[in-house]
Amino acid sequence: MKKVISIVAMIVPLLMAQGQGCSDAGICSVGKSFENDSLVFKNSLEWGSQYAKGDADVSYVAHFLSYTKRFNARFAFSAKVTLSTATGSFGTRTQFGDAILVGNYHFRPQKKQHWSALLGLKFPFTASNLKINGFSLPLDYQSSLGTIDAFLGVNWRVQRWDFNTVWQIPLVNLNKNSYFREYGGTNDFVSTNLFERQPDALVKVSYTQPIPNSRWSIKPNLIAIYHLGEDSFENIFGQREKIQGSSGLTVNANVNINYVFNTSHQIDLALASPFVVRDVRPDGLTRSLVINLVYQYSF
Amino acid sequence: MKKLSILGLALLLFGCQEEGVLTQTPNSTTLNPNATLRYFGDFYPTAGIQVEGGVRIYQTPGGFQLELNGFSISSGPDLKVYLSQADTPSNFVNLGNLTGQTVYSIPNAVNLSNYSHVLIHCQQYNHLFAIAPLQEN
Repeated sequence: MKKVISIVAMIVPLLMAQGQGCSDAGICSVGKSFENDSLVFKNSLEWGSQYAKGDADVSYVAHFLSYTKRFNARFAFSAKVTLSTATGSFGTRTQFGDAILVGNYHFRPQKKQHWSALLGLKFPFTASNLKINGFSLPLDYQSSLGTIDAFLGVNWRVQRWDFNTVWQIPLVNLNKNSYFREYGGTNDFVSTNLFERQPDALVKVSYTQPIPNSRWSIKPNLIAIYHLGEDSFENIFGQREKIQGSSGLTVNANVNINYVFNTSHQIDLALASPFVVRDVRPDGLTRSLVINLVYQYSF
Repeated sequence: MKKLSILGLALLLFGCQEEGVLTQTPNSTTLNPNATLRYFGDFYPTAGIQVEGGVRIYQTPGGFQLELNGFSISSGPDLKVYLSQADTPSNFVNLGNLTGQTVYSIPNAVNLSNYSHVLIHCQQYNHLFAIAPLQEN
């Protein structure tokens, strides 16, 4: 327990850093599906709640509900629904975000290593054009990016190390956002009218450290996300314009603290913050601090 | 019981959608009292739409301003005010959302002589609602 407290004490100052971080556009958490390979139960439900601080004065409270079905030792399928509330100088907007469907395939385990792969789809519940009183809102206030995305991923587990790579590809752009900086009354957010986003590639490295003689474990991890190109929007003259500085690397430090009540119940607390950021974050994925609490019930 | 709990949880989630109160002050434009009328026109609707009123474009010391005059229109999602080079939204300037405001500033970069129409257009579903051909005063 003392070790847990020490590690948390080391991580907290890091979380005070400002910058751009992982939201849940999907890619940050989709790799988590790899990690749950218990064969004791066929089903599990997860409820997660998150608090995050974003760019300008925007803060977020988000929730998700997830169901995972393990068909056998090889195949698992999970479905997840997200709900997000953004609060800032424009006001408060709450809406469903996305439905995320992920299939996992676990290859036959070898001596000390284990490979698995995932294929997923993300469906938005909105066209990313939520308004307040008819006033268009930047993407920072939108609960979804408004794209149908595919996830392709591979995980390699060797002893206590996990290496994930996930590619998030927008397949269909349904984004109808209509926010213009010119008419927004603030320079805090860039124009994202009819926003088009580029794919992301994620690499995650994590190490699981069980705390001896306890139900606790701790998993520090690094998440690097490369945004593979400049996003674009349609300007007030109806011409498509690239958003310079919107491509590039984000690196997040993350720590998961897990407590197992018994074989059916466990909780996981995650704390995350970025320390390498992109120059411009038009997609609103600007979390500088994320605190995520997840409860899992297996049956 | 388990199924009922899940259903209850789902209903709780769906009950959580909320559109709060706008706390940001939007860019509001009022008509400059020294404005000179340069262009005007009356709106006519596209199929299935009702519209009344017209549009006036004024020259002011700070640039051009567009005023919707005696204006009302069938409700629609994501309606925008376009200054357009034709009666279709192909070459246009998006002046912003159609809200309660009646006066819109026209960006200084716009050469007004190239624009012949004002359109009310639903951007999200790409549906034209109303057209006002402009006449020089």
